[in-house]
Amino acid sequence: MDKFKISLFPNISLIFGIFALMLIVFFLNSLPSIQKFGIELYTTNVWKAYEYEHEERYGLLAAIYGSVYTSVIALLISIPLSIGFAIFVVDFAPKKIKEPLIVITDVMAGLPTILYGIWGLFVLAPFLRDYIMIPLYKTFSYIPLFSYPPTGYCYFTAGVLLAIMVTPFATAIVRESYRMVPRIYKEGAFALGLTKYETTKILLKYIKPAIVAGTLLAFGRAIGETVAVSLVVGNTFNVHPSLFAPGYTISSLIANQFGNAFIYDLMPSTLFAAGLSLFLIGLSVNLLGLQYLKRWRYA
Amino acid sequence: MNAFEVRNLRVSYDDFEIISGIDLDIPAKTCFAIMGPSGCGKSTLLRTFNRLIEINENARVSGIIKLFGKNIFEIETSELRRRVGMVFQIPNPFPHLSVYENVAVGPKFNKMVKNKKELDKIVEWALKKAVLWDEVKDRLRERASNLSGGQMQRLCIARALALKPEVLLMDEPTANLDPISASKIEELIHELKKEYTMVIVTHSPSQASRIADYVAFLYLGKIVEIGRVEDVFENPKHELTEKYLTGRIG
Repeated sequence: MDKFKISLFPNISLIFGIFALMLIVFFLNSLPSIQKFGIELYTTNVWKAYEYEHEERYGLLAAIYGSVYTSVIALLISIPLSIGFAIFVVDFAPKKIKEPLIVITDVMAGLPTILYGIWGLFVLAPFLRDYIMIPLYKTFSYIPLFSYPPTGYCYFTAGVLLAIMVTPFATAIVRESYRMVPRIYKEGAFALGLTKYETTKILLKYIKPAIVAGTLLAFGRAIGETVAVSLVVGNTFNVHPSLFAPGYTISSLIANQFGNAFIYDLMPSTLFAAGLSLFLIGLSVNLLGLQYLKRWRYA
Repeated sequence: MNAFEVRNLRVSYDDFEIISGIDLDIPAKTCFAIMGPSGCGKSTLLRTFNRLIEINENARVSGIIKLFGKNIFEIETSELRRRVGMVFQIPNPFPHLSVYENVAVGPKFNKMVKNKKELDKIVEWALKKAVLWDEVKDRLRERASNLSGGQMQRLCIARALALKPEVLLMDEPTANLDPISASKIEELIHELKKEYTMVIVTHSPSQASRIADYVAFLYLGKIVEIGRVEDVFENPKHELTEKYLTGRIG
């Protein structure tokens, strides 16, 4: 066999091996808790930490719910934002500010997440509370979505903060592929009498795979983000439909509870089980995305 | 009746002049070929006819172009481009849209149809006009990128025809095709010029002589010679034209 090909095997087996090992470690460590609580571990919302094993009870629903809720809010804000930003940078930004805009988004992507967390805690949360949540709550509190008295630390703030954090990643992917669209398609659309807006619409359809990829990446980052979210989400075991309710996310739960988890018998195992669910959510979202792209490619 | 009347047309990119003062008349319902060596400004000239040149921010255009007597710079670009269709050198159907959608996209966005039935009719009509219907009538839902190069180019012609244009501009429409596909396109041009004004850019004198009624020889941004094909090919008035036709420049 080709020597070069052989020399690649260690890389492949190392990456695959780490992936498989991680999955195994998470699975084995979550077993005690899964055996004790069964499916209720994932379908109920309880958190009773007692020193005696027979009194301990855990259900991770609040954290799973919060992770998905905040990530979906983040995507709903971030996708239109990153597409719009990409179009502006490629098609409309004057040459002088084009490069600075790209550099700024790249820097934003690389900032340590604790910086976003502090900013979210002291600036974004009070701002959203005073100017968005309270007015909405006052007028629309009969709608479940706006029904919780706002404190500022809630799903909504976490979602907005996550949107700000993941947009630089998503927009970079969309922007690069939008920039690569062959000129001939743009010219073809203009030559049919289409306006700039209509042409852009057609070209966006052309880069749909990149938009899906950007969305997946954004979702992965949003659901995995820990520090920043745990500073603004409220860290409350709560399953509430309102945007303004405080909650928990899987990653903030693990980060907050691991310090004292070993006092309790089943808490470490439960936190591993929480990690496992994060793993599985990430995996299934990616598989869904891949499946979608496959259908798109061979339609 | 002239489809286009061009007077003192100048086009430059940044400060470099590509077209340096051109006058020409293109009679309606004929095939008018613009020929010349590469880099002489043929494509640039063609792109001023539907103002596609304007998507390049560095392009500057001056002079007068009239489409059936009306100054094209006073016509809204989307209306102008609907009336003056264009086919490109590289077949460029939208690869992510189906055969049907590619033809439908123009009439749909330009709001020429009221319902799906009318749209179906236009698509079928345009594909028949482009002599592609028999080959694709069972593949309308397939991606355009599945077609062969020659089929793609005829699809582009159908896409342009679906807007019911008065003029069809073609920028070296056979340059990227195999000889058989190319000859199909040339036959099609023969048919189309009965109803449409065809303006075709080509770098091949022999193609110009096969398909055109009138021909203009463009060299370094200026028209060297212009006239009926027979006259220019049999009796070139300029030494330069003769040199080009006999292959000594090109």
